[in-house]
Amino acid sequence: MFGYHGRFLRIDVSTGSAERLPVPESVLREYLGGTGLGAWLLLREGQASGDPLAPSSPLIFAFSPLVGSPLTTTAKFAVVSKSPLTDRFNDALAGSGFAIAGKHTGADAIVIVGRAPELSALVIDNGIVRLEPAGDLSGLPCSAAEETLRGRLGADFRIASIGPAGERLVRYATISHDGRHAGRGGSGAVLGSKNLKAIAVRGNQRCDWADPSGLVALSRDLSKRSFGPATEKYRELGTASNMLAFNRFGTLPTRNFQSGSFEDAARLSPEDLRVPRDRARSGCVACTIGCEHIYGKNGVRLEYESLFALGSLCGIGDPEAVLAAIGRCDDLGIDTISTGGTIAFAMECVERGLLDEPWLRFGDADALVRAIDLIGRREGLGAQLAEGSRRLAHSIGHDSIAFAPQVKGLELPGYEPRALQTMALGFAVAARGADHNRSGAYEVDFSEKVDRRHATLENVQFAIETEDKAALMDSLILCKFLRGVFHDFHAEVADILRSVTGWNVTPDELRDTARRIVRAKREFNLLAGWTPAEDTLPERFLSTPLPNDPSAVLSREQLGDLVAEYHRQRGW
Amino acid sequence: MRVEFYGVSRQRAGVGELEVTAATLGQLLTILSSEVPALSDLIEGDRLHPALAASLNGDRFVRDPHTPLDDDDCVLLLSADAGG
Repeated sequence: MFGYHGRFLRIDVSTGSAERLPVPESVLREYLGGTGLGAWLLLREGQASGDPLAPSSPLIFAFSPLVGSPLTTTAKFAVVSKSPLTDRFNDALAGSGFAIAGKHTGADAIVIVGRAPELSALVIDNGIVRLEPAGDLSGLPCSAAEETLRGRLGADFRIASIGPAGERLVRYATISHDGRHAGRGGSGAVLGSKNLKAIAVRGNQRCDWADPSGLVALSRDLSKRSFGPATEKYRELGTASNMLAFNRFGTLPTRNFQSGSFEDAARLSPEDLRVPRDRARSGCVACTIGCEHIYGKNGVRLEYESLFALGSLCGIGDPEAVLAAIGRCDDLGIDTISTGGTIAFAMECVERGLLDEPWLRFGDADALVRAIDLIGRREGLGAQLAEGSRRLAHSIGHDSIAFAPQVKGLELPGYEPRALQTMALGFAVAARGADHNRSGAYEVDFSEKVDRRHATLENVQFAIETEDKAALMDSLILCKFLRGVFHDFHAEVADILRSVTGWNVTPDELRDTARRIVRAKREFNLLAGWTPAEDTLPERFLSTPLPNDPSAVLSREQLGDLVAEYHRQRGW
Repeated sequence: MRVEFYGVSRQRAGVGELEVTAATLGQLLTILSSEVPALSDLIEGDRLHPALAASLNGDRFVRDPHTPLDDDDCVLLLSADAGG
């Protein structure tokens, strides 16, 4: 077999036992790797109806056929589990060396079940598994835990770890590696529930490629194109360049989605941020784009989603405060989007007199950082905030769920759905909740294909196309920042996959594969208790116009029709 | 009319906006390509490079060079990729 080992490692950390189990080639061809393989393995474990934080609940690290190849942006891995935030399917991707080292342990995926007897590091050394005591790492930020472990085990190990928030089972805790985060959905809490602080991997078991010279030629061509205008935004300014543009379009979520424009957007834009501050660029291993823009002496990586969630969404316009808040989230190991969304929701509850925490106000930077710290310690209000906005809304009552910014329990990213209505559909139907990575429907809204403010049934096919494309990219695994580089995505990817695996893959086969992967996620959700009522948006988005853009109106009936058409076209 | 630049186009143009006179999108792009040489490889003749998007008044997105423009229109130029 080319491109794969044809097996996965299943580890029970209750006992320290490990099995190498086969993955049939037919399965690998049908699900590829990453998210797809993770979904297949998750279904195989049969724990869809269980508690995501129970020992029996699996946590899966899935690699891909392309990782370790010369193809740009392929050093990524998927973390797949049932989410403790949504109780639904969750997959989160992160980049860099852990993906390569993980694949080199000799496994296409690592499935972890059980609970270690004490706080431990799971060490996988070229396929040999052991548990190391990690009590001395308790409470450390991910970066410190990683550094300490590499010092102890060896510099050629690559480490994925959780911060203090993961140890305390904050429901949106992240798993981090080398400053990059498998951020959404709370995988960090799942790893924490297994009493694992970190996973350390290294190995020398490489896979062969079917057509090495062909792969090298394709890789060179893709790398060359990755330096062009299609990726310039990421290279030169990073995702933060969305800030001014989205504000201009009235799609920048502000003060818990009460508005789509923010008076201090310019202060948070990279055009303003970089002037007085040190700025450095970085990127994942094996990436030619280099999208990471690191600001300030403390080295905070700035992304649009973090800027919006801890900036405009909380009414904070002070760039130093937002940078500090992002850095704090990174230290604690929590998803900035869910952190900002939950805190912003709480701020509005305070504003409305529904929550007796008068210190927690929109625009108060000290309050924001205090709230983040309380979340990390699960202390006071932080114990409630650590549960996410949906659970917080249920405990507050008073119909506050109407303005809790979540779908299926996952907080909305920085795209205002009333003004980006194909994205609104994408949020409503995505398997892991409100999601801009598993649905790229905003691409369609920012194009001449649709009227972003008035979605019709014609928008639905575009939403499906972006969802299918995302499923493929997350399974191959290729970074989505590369998507503008392809002239004919399915044909080019078929060529790439053929050169790695030797399979006679066609573009139509890849389209079928994408649909299969999306269907697998849905199958898991059905087993986990999904009902059609979940495929919607909070009432705020369906009944309250945007003050800055009154023409952007999305009704409950309209969204219902879009969702129904989505299910019809999916054949569900 | 006013042309507003966002992201890479702003960085390349060196300004946030310009006043331009043009009757169509194609004319506008030809003028910009000439007056702001740093934008020239994002404009292919009288057409947008696929990496660049244009919005008319923040409402609809346009790409057809024959799209008519009025004096009180505003054309916003931004990256076609809105990924965040």
